[in-house]
Amino acid sequence: MINFEEELKRYQPMPEVNQAEEAIYNNDLRDISDIITQVTEEIKQVNASQANQYAGRMRR
Amino acid sequence: MATKRPVLCPNCGAQIRKNGYCSGCHMPMQVLRKAYNTSDYYYNVGYDKASARDLSGAIESLNMSLRYNKKNVMARNLIGLIYYEMGEIVMALSHWVLSVNYQTTNNLASHYLKELRQDPTQLDNVDQIAKKYNMALGYAQSDDYDLAIIQLKSTLSANPHFVKGYLLLSLIYIQRDNYEKARTTLRRVLKIDKANPVAIHYLHEMGSTDENIIQMRNESVEDDGLFEDDYTEEIAVSEEQAKNNGGSIGSQLIKAITDHYKENTVKMGAFGEVRFARYSGLYVIVGLVLGILLLFFVIVPSQKKKLKKENEQLTKEYSEELAVKNASITELKSEIDSLNAQIDNLLNMEVGTDNPMPDYSDIKSGMSDEDLQNMISNE
Repeated sequence: MINFEEELKRYQPMPEVNQAEEAIYNNDLRDISDIITQVTEEIKQVNASQANQYAGRMRR
Repeated sequence: MATKRPVLCPNCGAQIRKNGYCSGCHMPMQVLRKAYNTSDYYYNVGYDKASARDLSGAIESLNMSLRYNKKNVMARNLIGLIYYEMGEIVMALSHWVLSVNYQTTNNLASHYLKELRQDPTQLDNVDQIAKKYNMALGYAQSDDYDLAIIQLKSTLSANPHFVKGYLLLSLIYIQRDNYEKARTTLRRVLKIDKANPVAIHYLHEMGSTDENIIQMRNESVEDDGLFEDDYTEEIAVSEEQAKNNGGSIGSQLIKAITDHYKENTVKMGAFGEVRFARYSGLYVIVGLVLGILLLFFVIVPSQKKKLKKENEQLTKEYSEELAVKNASITELKSEIDSLNAQIDNLLNMEVGTDNPMPDYSDIKSGMSDEDLQNMISNE
């Protein structure tokens, strides 16, 4: 049987025309290229920090 | 000798190195190409579903397509079109704006946006529909079902393709145990979106089988009485019950009331289609005539009355002033008469005596009146 209260929670208010900008930002989702870019950046940062640590050890 | 054209990265436009990585964004081209192919595959699936009027399924596939390639302009345009068809114009707008942002030239979305921009009343209507739907949702959450139904019916008469509105309306009808109306509402949803999962879920919960649902899709939704007044329908139901009970006088009474309502009920759908712009010239003329009548019958008489009152006040003031002046003139005239009488007396006295009046002509000027009076009395 349908639980009215539970079902009603699934309905969200509709964006009005003055909230279109917000809707545009929400719809601009991340795709594969964004994920690859992010992963590449993270790898670069990890490599850079490891290189710094290695250089520090070498100085000692 | 023909030179080999450099392969450019579809992500950033930079040249691809020989190792298969982009020189600009360092993307592995193999992965990117696979992602783009998958995106196109989901776009095709979405397109097929949209062609078969499975709009919910199409949205799902197109969203998947955009997950693989958010710059897939065709997928963006199609998802926008589907949202537009389902009455969610703001969502459609947002997808088309993004599409134009990714590809400015030779883009269908720019045509859609131009169409929307050319008709500002449509955007106003969209805003009103969103507001009314949100109000209806608020009413439903606070158990004001009648108000929610009124708002939703108004929304749906303005946009008969608004799927979300139909779904909420059907949910409210189910809550009020009006399953027939709920089915009618859901039938309209299935006409727009053949495999809407929420509509199918509600129908299954109400006991409809898959065969019933397939049959419902083929039934006509015109004149299904969804927008007719619920009160009229309740009376019709009562009439039917009375007939079944064999009531004679009661049933006649109910029939009379029903007939009266049928004659006087304004259908909401029909009301929404009236074009008021057609009569704008007539409205202006009627407004002018009313304005002129107001001027002649209300404003002009009141002004006349005011002026008349002011005139009367002035007349009164001037006549009072005139009376005062006349009184002073009369007083001065009597004074002149008495002085003339005194002069005559004095002249008579002078004629009657031997001793003439002393001559004061040699008296030097500069004497005061008192001195002169004393002198006269001494004489």
